[in-house]
Amino acid sequence: MRLFGWVGNFSSAVRIPVMVMLLMAAVSIVLSERVLTRLSQNQESYLQGLASSYLDGVAASVSPSILRRDSWEIYDTLLRMKPHKASVLPRETIVTDADDIILASDKPEAHPTLKLMGKAFRGEFKNTQMRLDTTSELAFQMRPISHQGETIGKVYVVFDASSLLQERRDVLLALLLTNGLLTVLLAGVGFLTVRRMVRPMQILESHLKNATSGGLEPISNEEFQKAGRDAKRIFAAFNQLVSAERDREKLVDSLTKEERLACLGRLASGMAHEINNPLGGLLNAIDTLKKHGDRKSVRLQSTDLIRRGLLGIRDVVQATLATYRPERNSRSFTGQDLSDISLLLRPELKSRSQKLKITNQQSLGVFEGLPAGPMRQAIMNLVLNAVKASPDGAEILLAIDQTNNASTFSIIDQGEGLSDPESKILESRQIKGVPDGISGLGLWVVRQIGNEINATFTIRANKPRGTIVTMTVPTQRSEAIDAAA
Amino acid sequence: MSYSCKRITTSRRRFVLSSAALLLAPKASFAQKPRKSAIRFGLTPVFLNDDLQLLSVIRTYLEAATGYKIDLTTRRTYQEVTALLISGQLDAAWICGYPFVKYRTELDLVAVPQWNGKPLYQSYLITKTDRNVTELSDLAGDIHAFSDPNSNSGYLVTMALLHKNELNSETFFEKTLFTYSHRNVIRAVASGLVQSGSVDGYIWEIMREIDPDLVAKTKIIRKSEWFGFPPIATSRQFADSPKIKALKAAFLASNNTEDGRAMLNYLRLSGFTQAPSSLFDPVAQNLKSLKGVL
Repeated sequence: MRLFGWVGNFSSAVRIPVMVMLLMAAVSIVLSERVLTRLSQNQESYLQGLASSYLDGVAASVSPSILRRDSWEIYDTLLRMKPHKASVLPRETIVTDADDIILASDKPEAHPTLKLMGKAFRGEFKNTQMRLDTTSELAFQMRPISHQGETIGKVYVVFDASSLLQERRDVLLALLLTNGLLTVLLAGVGFLTVRRMVRPMQILESHLKNATSGGLEPISNEEFQKAGRDAKRIFAAFNQLVSAERDREKLVDSLTKEERLACLGRLASGMAHEINNPLGGLLNAIDTLKKHGDRKSVRLQSTDLIRRGLLGIRDVVQATLATYRPERNSRSFTGQDLSDISLLLRPELKSRSQKLKITNQQSLGVFEGLPAGPMRQAIMNLVLNAVKASPDGAEILLAIDQTNNASTFSIIDQGEGLSDPESKILESRQIKGVPDGISGLGLWVVRQIGNEINATFTIRANKPRGTIVTMTVPTQRSEAIDAAA
Repeated sequence: MSYSCKRITTSRRRFVLSSAALLLAPKASFAQKPRKSAIRFGLTPVFLNDDLQLLSVIRTYLEAATGYKIDLTTRRTYQEVTALLISGQLDAAWICGYPFVKYRTELDLVAVPQWNGKPLYQSYLITKTDRNVTELSDLAGDIHAFSDPNSNSGYLVTMALLHKNELNSETFFEKTLFTYSHRNVIRAVASGLVQSGSVDGYIWEIMREIDPDLVAKTKIIRKSEWFGFPPIATSRQFADSPKIKALKAAFLASNNTEDGRAMLNYLRLSGFTQAPSSLFDPVAQNLKSLKGVL
């Protein structure tokens, strides 16, 4: 299992040939074992047949001589019967009487005439069954010789089985070489085939990897033409996917632009509303001055009214300027920006009879390192989302905590909570496109800003009702502001 | 022994041998019907009778020299050839001195081979080269190989020697066996099948030239006195026949022709000579000394 696990770490182009090689090796071992076993059986059967035939001949020829105990006749017969060109030659043939007294052998010096056969040599023979000793490469067989139902002697034969065993070794070597070559050949073929097979997958994998880093590109025509029929289908599907994704990105861009326009509309609407409110009073004051300007008290009251109206208009204009003025990119977020946010959101809050409460606003200093523009945009979007989620007349709380390392902005509403896709947008840094099921782009924009300023978002329930969305922004150096802007 | 007794004994022996010859060689007796133009010549295992080239050399020369077709007959034992000869189924045969002496009354000499210029040879007692023995007494307890029970050099000489030394082959040797060929005696000793053997000295010397590796494994312990070389004999009934006369002339003149010299060279002989039967008296003396033993 560990082997398979280890092999599994490699690519298919390596894994499959390795598996083919292992499989072939296993098949080779099994086949070789079967062939050698069968060869051994055949050889032993052949040897047994040869030995039986030789022993039959010897037994028939020497029987009369054994009865006469004629050692010379036995010896002469053994020499005359000894084959010289057989593949398996008898190395020694010994004829004894029934008591293992040697009558003659074809090697009289090794087996002296009329001596009792040595116990060690006798022990090499296993009754009448042939015994093949692969170490000494000798085969031993004994055959009793009977005459009228009585054993009159025995023939012991030692065969030289080296040629058979050499044949076995040759066959084994041939098997190993053949199977080895076949294994290497098949592994090579397997490697090339699999490489060819997985090549489209590798192309696809490469394009998908590029896609995760923003480089989603269709598969080129050149690669398309090299691919097989199945791969072409997959490539076509991938290219369709790329095309669809590009359309989706265009749509997102378009929606983003629309959202910006909507924001601009809301801003213009808010500004118009803020300006329009004192404008009526200003016009009335002017009319009053025209009619009753001669009266000092009226004049003073009207001019004061005009002054307050104009101050309100100035505030709105200043807030707008603060938001869109050219130098905003390099400015750090401050408590004044929170006032601007409050001012900008006032029309939206008023329309829902809602209130925005900002905690610790008076004690807040400069949020060093946090770019004002993106921060204002992000907080404003989060508050707008809270306004939208909360019922009419609800109070929305913006709690701010400022430390040396990080600043946290918690927006607490009384709504029903964020949906899963909405939560996912904020919590996951990997969201590239706009997920399905999202009507607006506010949260997506917040996420993008969060990525820029390295902010993290947590969402938890606000008991008994509502949601707490917390944005934590680490304190950044000034260079980061430029980068994030 | 009186003359009449000897005649009876001789007749009985002749009858037994004739019967044995009929039993042992029925095929020969019918297949080898006497043909007018053929000389039936027998060879005993004194010589290398399994050497087909030798048979061919002898046949070639004798046919050329006698003008007769030569039918060569070989048998495994001396007794078989001797029986065929005495029974008249062979015109002549190359036999051993011992059967000649044994059946001297029925046989007549045709010619006697000469080895190294003399019609004499010896019997050798041999053993393995690597064995540390020097005399007969060292061979006690051996398995001993004889050539043939009717061989002079391969049996009778050793038996007479043992008898002379008041020894008995049955007790002196652990076992004795017959190989029915002098060459086989050498093979048996050289291989170690037996520890010693009695062999024709002439054969041992020839074998030393023909098969030096085999003979080198044996050594001579004792050489016997000289005996008459195994002769070419004929049945007395054919002694004066034209065939035998032609055969005798052919053997005696074997040095005169190319084929004859080829035969002599092959046999490593000097030639053939006429010799008196007294040449075989030493054999007869041995036989006589063993009377009652054999």
